[in-house]
This record gives sequence, structure tokens and C-alpha cells, in this order.
Amino acid sequence: MAQKITIFHMYPDAMNLYGDLGNIITLVKRCEWRGIEVEVVNVKIGDKVNFANADLLFMGGGQDSGQRIITDDLVSRGPAIKAAIEEGMPALLVCGGFQLFGQYFETTEGDKIPGISVFNAYTTAGNKRLIGNVVVDIAHVASEWQNQFNLPGSSESHTTLVGFENHSGQTILEGDTKPFGYVIRGFGNKGDGGYEGAVYKNAYGTYLHGSLLPKNPWFADHLIMCALYRRYGNVLSLTPLDDSIEIAAHEAAIERSKTAKTISI
Amino acid sequence: MRKFLAILAAETARAISQITKRGSGSALPGLVAQKVDPAIITKLADKLSGGIILVTGTNGKTTTAKMLAGILEAAGHKVIYNFSGSNLSRGIASFLITHTNFWGTKMDGDVGIFEVDEATMPEIVAMVRPKAVVVTNLFRDQLDRYGEVDKTASIIGKALTLCPEAKIILNADDPLVASLVSYNKNTVYFGIDDDYKTLSKGAIDSRNCVSCGAELAFNPRFFGHLGNYTCPKCGSGRPKLDYSLTNLAFTVEDSKAVLHTTSGETDISIQLPGLYNLYNALAAGAVADFLGVKNEIIAATLGNISAAFGRMEKIKLSDSKNLFLMLVKNPTGFTQTIETLTFDKKPKNILIALNDNFADGTDISWIWDAEMEIVKDYAKNIVVSGIRGEDMQLRLKYAGYDMSLVTLEKDLTKALELALTTLPSSETLYILPTYSAMLELRKVMAGKGLVKGYLE
Repeated sequence: MAQKITIFHMYPDAMNLYGDLGNIITLVKRCEWRGIEVEVVNVKIGDKVNFANADLLFMGGGQDSGQRIITDDLVSRGPAIKAAIEEGMPALLVCGGFQLFGQYFETTEGDKIPGISVFNAYTTAGNKRLIGNVVVDIAHVASEWQNQFNLPGSSESHTTLVGFENHSGQTILEGDTKPFGYVIRGFGNKGDGGYEGAVYKNAYGTYLHGSLLPKNPWFADHLIMCALYRRYGNVLSLTPLDDSIEIAAHEAAIERSKTAKTISI
Repeated sequence: MRKFLAILAAETARAISQITKRGSGSALPGLVAQKVDPAIITKLADKLSGGIILVTGTNGKTTTAKMLAGILEAAGHKVIYNFSGSNLSRGIASFLITHTNFWGTKMDGDVGIFEVDEATMPEIVAMVRPKAVVVTNLFRDQLDRYGEVDKTASIIGKALTLCPEAKIILNADDPLVASLVSYNKNTVYFGIDDDYKTLSKGAIDSRNCVSCGAELAFNPRFFGHLGNYTCPKCGSGRPKLDYSLTNLAFTVEDSKAVLHTTSGETDISIQLPGLYNLYNALAAGAVADFLGVKNEIIAATLGNISAAFGRMEKIKLSDSKNLFLMLVKNPTGFTQTIETLTFDKKPKNILIALNDNFADGTDISWIWDAEMEIVKDYAKNIVVSGIRGEDMQLRLKYAGYDMSLVTLEKDLTKALELALTTLPSSETLYILPTYSAMLELRKVMAGKGLVKGYLE
């Protein structure tokens, strides 16, 4: 019987600011090319869904208005989402999605917009917008992935992520919360070129869009592996794909980050 | 005196920039003039007796301005307009200076049409006191430059509060644009009444009711978030149209419709494809009608307007091949432009050039919101090029294109040569460049004698 995964795309209307659809397209195509069936469930405000049916969760970034619209709904789903993540559901949270999976977002006026506290982290509104290409070193996380699964292409040790950031919020990790990576070029969570994103179990928060997954196929495959492993148990590897076009785009993005200007306004 | 010095300084700067051939020289003189006399724009703008029309919005500014200028000229006005696309305040200052006499006492026109970048609107409105303001649409565009669509709307809104006496001409089919009435009540609306069905799957912006936040119901949706909408929750909906188009008909190269204005209806036919160009014609027609131009003049002129620079430019080559240059700037515009390629069933030769310079938007994630999937079954030969050519190649792979038809050649000159070499005679090469790639390609074409040089 063919394997199947179900992707919950959280608020595809309100939270789709920066080409977030590219992440969904990538997950879907990379499954289809391997004969894995995929269903994408678009979760909108008020929709009755059961997170026990979700194999993978994605939420992107939104405009301020979009984030305001969805906050109450997200908070009401918080316990169900956290329960799934606790028992290994992979999740990718980009930009605004990342912020709302922390404890709270504090606006410039000092209001605290509650998050769902998947990550032990909080975000404060910054007075600058940090914009530009990003290259992140994820070697510490990638080595764990290799221990966990036999990922295609893992022998080539892809230890970078490329993307584009555009945020004014600064996300501070607390306690022993692990960052997703360390900035090689770009601003990162706090705008200081230090750490980027956050990891908790198989949930990954990041400011990288661009879209993120198409140009970082090893990360897309890791999310798919986590989903398959959780649902089917003994899945330890994926059919390798020809990723030459993906890798060319990844490398071109690294090159471009050396010359393109970043903006901090 | 200060005005005179400002003009003198600007002319000097222009002369120097032309002699040294640094840049196109279009913005520098204005920048210099504004330094010498910060009020230079107001002083010169006040000399235009027929008033100033501002055109703003994400897409269609340049083409709308060009159409309007054509109509007003046909109606006997002497029009000055900033056609070159240098639409920031220093560009407008430069432009006014080119159209004044040496002393700054007279302008060489009676009506001014300025296309104005959304972010610059408050500054420009305060300086020029417009007679009318047209807002074409608000799509996500180059977010790295302007922030977010809602923010852009509030910036335009702020500008509209600064000109209470101006007529505000709004696209009713765009919920966010229509909501700008809350800033200035002196409005009229234009929109489309037709059962046109888009191939694109969904809107990416402004799908929610501006009043209550519920998801809007579109019947029909024309493209992006433009359509005839109502809110199922609070009942608000598209405002009543003062100007409209009905009976739309399209080919890959032109479009027809019936235009309804305050003085009746008239058939229009434009030599530009795509619904968005009909919106441009409608917006131009609405302003012209407001300024008292007769429908016959509007219709006759629209039929002869060619596209604004690089927007939708057809170039005939000697060996019966054609080039069709179609600027792409943002996801909705991209989706709309490629949708026109499906208006006939012929397989298409396409060159896509994706740059990520400042003028293009440095964030190219928008290509993942453009529905490239629409054209995958119409592909014959595709060349991808530009600084981010690899990203476009990747986008096409995930859109399901047959990648054996797609060639990556990052260098624009070589990419154009390659695309032309493989182009069968009597066929058309559709070139889809981002802004800076368009300028570069045009320079290459001028070098090959395919188009006239571009001088500002």
C-alpha cells in the first residue's frame, strides 16, 4: 500500500506573505516524485480539524492584520498542536508563524500578543526592519538528522540553509532552547548576526523564506522523513532524487548573498 | 530667485550627467533642484492651469498614465507626463524642470499627469495639490521596499486626506482600494461587469473584508483579489460602479470591451492583451470623462495606444519573427501576464529574466506565488536568465514543466541570442523580464539594432 502523509497548512490565506506556498509545493512534489501520496488540508479560522490526523504542519508569515485575525483561533488550537509536536509531529514555522509558536509577541506599545509556547522563546517588536539574503550554518542540527535517518544526499553533508529574511521582530530564545542555525550572512533572530530560528523536537521555527524548502531540499526531505517515520515506524530512508537544479539554486543564493546589499531600516 | 537657482543647478547637473554619461540622468537634476529649493515642485506644479492628475497603485500606473495622456492630447490639451517611470519625488522635480522655461515662470503644458509610487504619495500630494487621484490596485509588490500591502493602503489613505478637494477615482473591484473612501469621500468608482473566468487559482492579498475581517465571496473573481465581491458576514460589498466595462473579449495580442461612462457607452478596442490592460483603459477613460472628454475621443484614442515602455511591447524582426516584451514585477502581474499566453493554443517560446536588484525587489520569493503552472502545457522553448535564473529554473521544475524544454543561461545577452537562434521563423518570442532585466535586455536589443535606444 502506498504511503500517505497529510500536511496541515495553517491559515493559508492570512499567513502567506512571502512565497510560503513554495514550501507546500516543494513538500507535495517531493512526495509525489517518490510515489508518496500527499493531502494538504488548508486550516482556516474556525475550521474543525483533528490534529491527530496531521503528519506535518506548516505555518507561514503574515501581515500584521493577518496575524491579528488568526491569533485567537491559533491560541485555541494550541494544546492540540503542542500535543502532536510532543509526540514527534514535524512542523515548519516561518517568520510570523515562528513568532506565534513562541510565548508571546510584544508590540512597540507594550501589548503582549500571546503565542502557543511550542518554543521557549519570545519576540519583541524592533524599531528596524531587517531585510536581505541569509545563509545559515545548520551543521549541529544536520548531524543529528544523519544519525536519525539515512537521508538521501546526506553523505554530501549539506550543512547550510539559504533564504531571505524580512522582519522587525526580534526573537530571543530562553533556557536551553536550541537555535536552528548560526548566521553566516544576514541578521538572524536578534539582528546581530548570531543565532537563527529555533528547534523543539521536530518543530522548526525560522525567519527564512525565499521560499525556504525549494532551495534547501535536504531540509524538506528531513521533514518528510519525520512525517513518514512517525506514521509508519520503520521508514529509514527516502528514494534519492536528482537535486541538481535545487543545488544550483542553493549555491547561486550563497554566491548572491556575498554581493547583494542587506537593508536595516 | 531660489526657484531660478534651483533650475539652473538642475540643468547643470543634467548637463554634467549627460557629458559624463553617469546613469540615465533622470533623477539627479531633481535631487539637486530640491536641495536648492525644497518648494520647487509646488512652484512649478501651480503653473499647470488644467491641474494635475496623480496615478498610483501597484500595477498599471505607467500604462494608465500613458493612455490618459493620449486621450487628453487628442482632446486638445497640452499634456506633460512623467512617462519614464522615474516616479519618486526627485524624478518628478527633474521632470517639471524639463518642462519649464529657463526662469520657471511658464510650463510647456496645461495638464500634468504624474505616476507616483505609493510610498511617495503623501509627499507628492502635499506638494502638487492634485485635481484628481487615480488608484489602480494594490497588490503585494517588492515587500522589501514598502513593507506590506495594508501599510501601503494606509500611506495612500494619508495622502488622500491631504487633498480634500481632489476627485478620488478608485478601482471598486479591489476591496482594499475601494476602502480608501474612508480617507476621502469625494470618490467615484470604476470596475468590470463581466463573467470573465480566470485560470488562476486564488487571490493572495486582501481576500478579507476590510470592515469585519471575514473572507470575501467573489462572483466572479477576475484576477488576484479583483472582482465583484460581497462579505457574507457583514454584508458590505463592492461599491456601485460609476464607470464600467462590459462584454470583454481577448486574443493574445488585443482586447475589446464596451466602456460605460457618465455620458453613455462606447465600444473600445486596445492593442494590448489581458484584463489588466482593460483596467488601465477603464481607469484612463474614467479620468478623461471626469475632465469632460467625450466618449468618441476616448474610444478613438485608446485604439491607438501602444504599451508603456517595456510593459507590453511588440517588436517586429526582419526575418518575420516577433518579440513581445512583457514586464513582470509581482506575483499577480506575473500570473496575469502569462495567462494571456493561454488565449490561443499555440506552443510558446519564452524567455524569463529574473533579477533581484533594488528596482526588481531584492526578495524573489514572490515567484512562488506566481502561478507558473498555468502555462506549463503551452511551453515550447524556454530560456531562463538573470541574476536569479537558477531560482526561476527551480520554480519551473516545481510547476511541473518538462525540463528538457528549459535552458538556463544566466547572461542576458547570451540568453537573448540563444532564444532568438532557436526561435522558428514567423513565431513570437515572449520575453518576461523583471524591471532591471528589462532595461538591460532593451540595451542589448538596441545594440543589435532591434529597438531604438532609450534616452531620457
